[in-house]
This record gives sequence, C-alpha cells and structure tokens, in this order.
Amino acid sequence: VSTEPLSGERTSVARRLWRAGAFGRNRLLTSPQFLVPFFAVAAALPLLTQYLVDNYSWTGGEYWLRIATTCAMYASLALALNLAVGYAGLLNLGFIAFFGIGSYSYALVASDQMHIHLPLWSAVAVVIAVTACMALLVAAPALRLRGDYLAIVTLAFGLIMAELVLDLDRAPTLFGRRFGPASLNITGGTEGIHVVDPFKLPDNFPLIHGVALQTRTYYWVALGLTALFVFCMMRWRNSRTGRAWLAIREDELAARVMGVNTYRYRLMAFTASAVMAGLVGMLNAAYLHNAFPGNYDVQQTVLVFIMVILGGLASIPGAIVGACLVTILPFMLQQLIFYKYVVFSVVLIVLMIFRPQGLLGTVSMRPRQVMGGTVELFTELADSEAELARAPGAPAMAEVEATSGAIVETPESG
Amino acid sequence: MAYFLQNFPQQLINGLETGSLYALVALGYTLVYGILEMLNFAHGDVYMVGGFLAAGVAALFVHSGVTAVPAALVVVLMIVAAMAGAGILGVAIERVAYRPLRNANRLAPLITAIGVSLLLESVVQVRVSPAPVLVPNNALVPQLVVHLGSVATPLTAVVLLATCVALMMTLDIFVFRTQFGSAMRATAQDREAASFMGIDIDRVIMVTFLVGSALAGMGGVLFSLRFATVDFFMGFLIGIKAFTAAVIGGIGNIRGAMVGGFLLGVLESLGGGFISTEFQDVFAFLALILVLLVRPQGLFGEKPLERA
Repeated sequence: VSTEPLSGERTSVARRLWRAGAFGRNRLLTSPQFLVPFFAVAAALPLLTQYLVDNYSWTGGEYWLRIATTCAMYASLALALNLAVGYAGLLNLGFIAFFGIGSYSYALVASDQMHIHLPLWSAVAVVIAVTACMALLVAAPALRLRGDYLAIVTLAFGLIMAELVLDLDRAPTLFGRRFGPASLNITGGTEGIHVVDPFKLPDNFPLIHGVALQTRTYYWVALGLTALFVFCMMRWRNSRTGRAWLAIREDELAARVMGVNTYRYRLMAFTASAVMAGLVGMLNAAYLHNAFPGNYDVQQTVLVFIMVILGGLASIPGAIVGACLVTILPFMLQQLIFYKYVVFSVVLIVLMIFRPQGLLGTVSMRPRQVMGGTVELFTELADSEAELARAPGAPAMAEVEATSGAIVETPESG
Repeated sequence: MAYFLQNFPQQLINGLETGSLYALVALGYTLVYGILEMLNFAHGDVYMVGGFLAAGVAALFVHSGVTAVPAALVVVLMIVAAMAGAGILGVAIERVAYRPLRNANRLAPLITAIGVSLLLESVVQVRVSPAPVLVPNNALVPQLVVHLGSVATPLTAVVLLATCVALMMTLDIFVFRTQFGSAMRATAQDREAASFMGIDIDRVIMVTFLVGSALAGMGGVLFSLRFATVDFFMGFLIGIKAFTAAVIGGIGNIRGAMVGGFLLGVLESLGGGFISTEFQDVFAFLALILVLLVRPQGLFGEKPLERA
C-alpha cells in the first residue's frame, strides 16, 4: 500500500492503474470516469475508419469494423458467461447452446423458414422468453446437483441441442412412425436457416449512410448491448442479489447457513446468463443473416471460457479485454491461424496453474492458504452480535447486519 | 413384436460390443474420480491418442511393405505402443496440469482438464491429420463373420468384447486382490488417513493415471482394429458416453463402471434400433441427465452424493 496521497499529486492514469492493485484497478476501470469515455471512443470508431477510408484510401476499414463488431459480441458473451461462472460459480458447459437457442429462435420468427416476420421488439420478447424457458428447464433440476455434475448435465444438454438442430430438418421418426408432416423442416439441419431478417432501421437515421452502412449499424447495436451488459453487471455486483451470488461462489454451505436461498439465487444467475447469451445470439443471427449449426459447437464454449478466465473471473473489464484479445490475436497472427486452439488451450492451462485470477481478476480459485485467525474473528464477531442482540432495541442488530454486509433471508424451508 | 423379437439378439450383441468399449474407457474416469474426486475431462482424448499411436504403428509396418513381420507381431506392437504411450501421457497430464491444482477449488482442475482435452485434440488435428486416418485392419486381423443363429457379427467384435472383459477382470483383481490395490482403495476412502498409514499418495495417483490411461489406450487399439479408422475428434463423444456409463454405475465404483458401460451400450443400441436411429445419442445423454436427477449416486454408489 502506497503511503503517498494519490489525490494530492498529479499522476497519470496509467500510473494510477499500475499502483492501484487488482481491486483498485477493477474499481478504476469500472468507474464512470473511465467507462463513459471508453464507450464514447469505441462508438466513434466507425467514424474514424470512415475518415481514414475517405482521406487516406485505407482499404481495411470494413474489415476491421467487422472484427470490432465480433469483439463487441464476444465481449457481451463473455460478460454473460462471467455472470454464471464468475459471480455465481456455476460451470455451464452448455453455455453456447443458449447462444444458439437465441439465434435459432430469432431465425424462426424472422425468416421465411416458418413464414413469420415479427417486428424487432416482438422478436426480442420471443428470444428472451424462449431462452429463459429453456434455461429454467435445464437448470431447475440440474442446479440441485453439485458443481462438476452441473457441468456435465449442461454439457449433455448442449450436445442434445446440437443433435436436435441437426435432426429437426425432417419430421422425427419414433418407433417407425413419423411425427408431423413429411415436409416438416424446423431447423434446416446442417444447412441452418438462411436469409434471416436484418434489423430494420428508418432510412433517415443519422450517421448510417456511407460505405459500411450495415456493418456500422450492427457495430453500434453490439456495442450498445455490451454497454448494457456492463451496466447490468455493475448494478448486480453491488446489489443484494450480487452479494448472494458471490457468497454462494465462495462457500455455498456458509451462504446457506447465513440464510441465503442458494437454489433460487443459482437459478437466477443461470437464467440471467442464458438470456443474455440468447440476446447476443439473436444479434449474431441478424448480423450474419443466418443461423448455422457450426457456429454453436463445443469449441465455442471453450473459447468463451478462455476469454473469461484470461480476463479474470468476475472482472467486468477483464471479460472485455479477454474477448478482444482472443478475437483479435488470431487475425494479427495469420501464419499461426492453424495453431489457434493449440495456443489458447496452452494459455488456459498455464493461466489456471500460475495465475488463476487472470489478467485483471481479483478472484482466485485457489483455496486460502492461511485459515488461522479467521475462526477467532468469526467467534469474536458472533460474541459482539450476541451482546448487541441482548441489549434492548432491535435497530442495533439491524445495524450490525448492515455494516457486516450480511445477507439475511427467510431460511429455506425443507 | 415379431420384428422386435427377430432383431433383439442382433441389437443386443451390437450394444454389448460398444458397451464394452464404453466400460473400458469408463474405468479410467471412475478410477480417477474415486481417488481425486475430479473429472478427468481429457480421458477421452487419451483414448484418441492411443488410437493414433496404434494407427501409426500399423501404417509403419503395413504401408512400408515390411512383409517379413507377421501380422500378430504388428498387433502386439500396436498394443504395446498405444498402452505405453497413453499411460505415459496420462501420467504426464496429471503431473503437469492436475497436481499443481490438487488442493484447489473443484472447478480449477476441471478447467485445466478442458484445456488439456482441447490441446490434445488440436495438436493431433494440426500436426497429425485433420481428416480421419485409415487403419489397414484387413492386413492385420482376420475379417471373418461369426454366425450364431440369426445373429451375425464380425470376429473382431467378438475379440473386442472378450478383450475388454478380460482387461476388466484383470483390473478388478488388481484393485481388489493386491496390496497396491488396497492402497488405492484406502486412498480413495480417505486420502489423509491413507498417507498417515504410510501410503505414498503421489505414487498411488500416478499409478491410477497410468492404469486408467493405458486401458483407454487399449480401447483406442481395439477401436482402430475393429472400425479401421481414427480421427482427432473420436475421443470426445466416447469420453462423454464413458463418463455417462461411469455415472450410471456410480462414479468411483469400478464394477459399477463396467456394468454401466454395458448397460449404456445396450440401451443405446436398442434405442437406436427400435425407437429412432437419428436420436441415438440423445438417448444416451437423456439417460445421463435422468440418472443424475433421480439417483445421482448411480446404480451401485454407496453413499448419496453431497447435494448442492
């Protein structure tokens, strides 16, 4: 801890970041003073590329804008996964399935596949409803299981979804009988669903005229989604719900003993994360104009996991940095493109062993080395609480609760 | 009904064959889970590497036209290479990726295991072959078809089944009848107490990985000889199916894993044969989810699992 007062001297932002330590860095990077300029600069990126294209005959404008759009989508996806894994400690290996469910449910209500073309906001409602229902369907039974079993059940769910997507381009046959008409084709099988409706914007919308009209629009939508997710994650982090999630991640038994209804909070985290992934999936389907089964395979899940762990579990700026690194690096190192997964898997292993908290994270998956002192501290606190409880007047107890940040809920019945 | 009766024996045999392979791989999961309580996600890929080693040895002798070497010797060399290679690989994985995290949170080694799995797959894909590699099995093993009444099955399938059963019986004797086996069981029961009794825990864990991975390597050899092809992704699905089998039998329980493997194989084969071919894999995963939800300790698991 530095003894010099930080506010008194004129220090550069970089210096303050360097000195702040893991917690301080996260706090600085999630402060409005940093986030607002960051998103403002990011939003101005298409204008910059347009300027370079117009005045310096740069040819890479559209290309890099597309990469930036992909970055923004992956950042949103990493934030969504961070909610489940980083906040609540739920290892959801079927995560990408929800991304796929979002894509397919949007593609089904906004293409010629079912001859339905819903307007944008109704489609958003459909996507949210479908992903939430699917998430509850998996999570309600699966969350009764312990961590690594949850991972396996969600993985199995992801594989079942992948199988269904491939097989539901024809009417399913069970016991030698075909169910549904012969012409039934829901998912388009290996070909996916083509010609999905793009997002429609009014023609006179400002700033979207020019070369990369479509790309630019999607970039802003993706960036807006990222900003929305960042905002939500920050709000949740300091809410009662967020504290309950962190408590569950740290020690589920302890959280339950404190009166947290762990099942309900885990269900909330899982569903919220799935719905967020579904929204990104919807955006992705509209951006690519299709829903294609190859975009939702298991390797994609691992890729998003690498983003989250590289950036740092539970860290909001970490998820964005991780997503950008994992997305941009393969484009920078074109010669090594075949070794993409080799490099990423080595990075994942090495990080887990030597720096489990990632680049910007504060959470380590290692156990605390020293437990000494903790027990005494707890008993001391309990004594003082008991004393306060004995004293007349209830507010004292509530105050202790408030200052110690305890989460007190009606205990689980049964 | 007549259709069912007529085809049931054939489907049963097919199911037992795939089931024996599941059981062999499931043993690796269950051994490691029993001792370390961790899910060795990379186990299916160790099986894949075993298959590739066997394919490499076979290609070396058959394609280079070394006809002086009898086929039986080539098969033996394939087995030795695959079992030794897979065994050493398993030990190396444990040493590098799991041991540093042995006392960490449950999720940390699971994530490194996913990393190792992706690493093995991508290295084989990039360095060896992105496409399936053919194994010249017709030059190595007799391609006979055995007829038993209405049932017809290749001789290799029968050999596969018999080899798996023999290996499982050997493992069972090793774990339940030898001194080292009792050290393994003691470690599985209570690692700390076992170390107080003078058991070298690191050595037990090493041998567990060696044995489990060697069995998976043997599984790879059997698969390559029976189906004549190996590819870099072949370990993924069988890994998950084998894990399913281990869970059905009660994870950590060796005999349970064997029974679970056969059960899953037969279930899949009957489901695929009589209900719907296209949803064959879906049945296996539904079985996994159902078992986990209804009886998470599996068919033969002693203690009910700690619930979240």
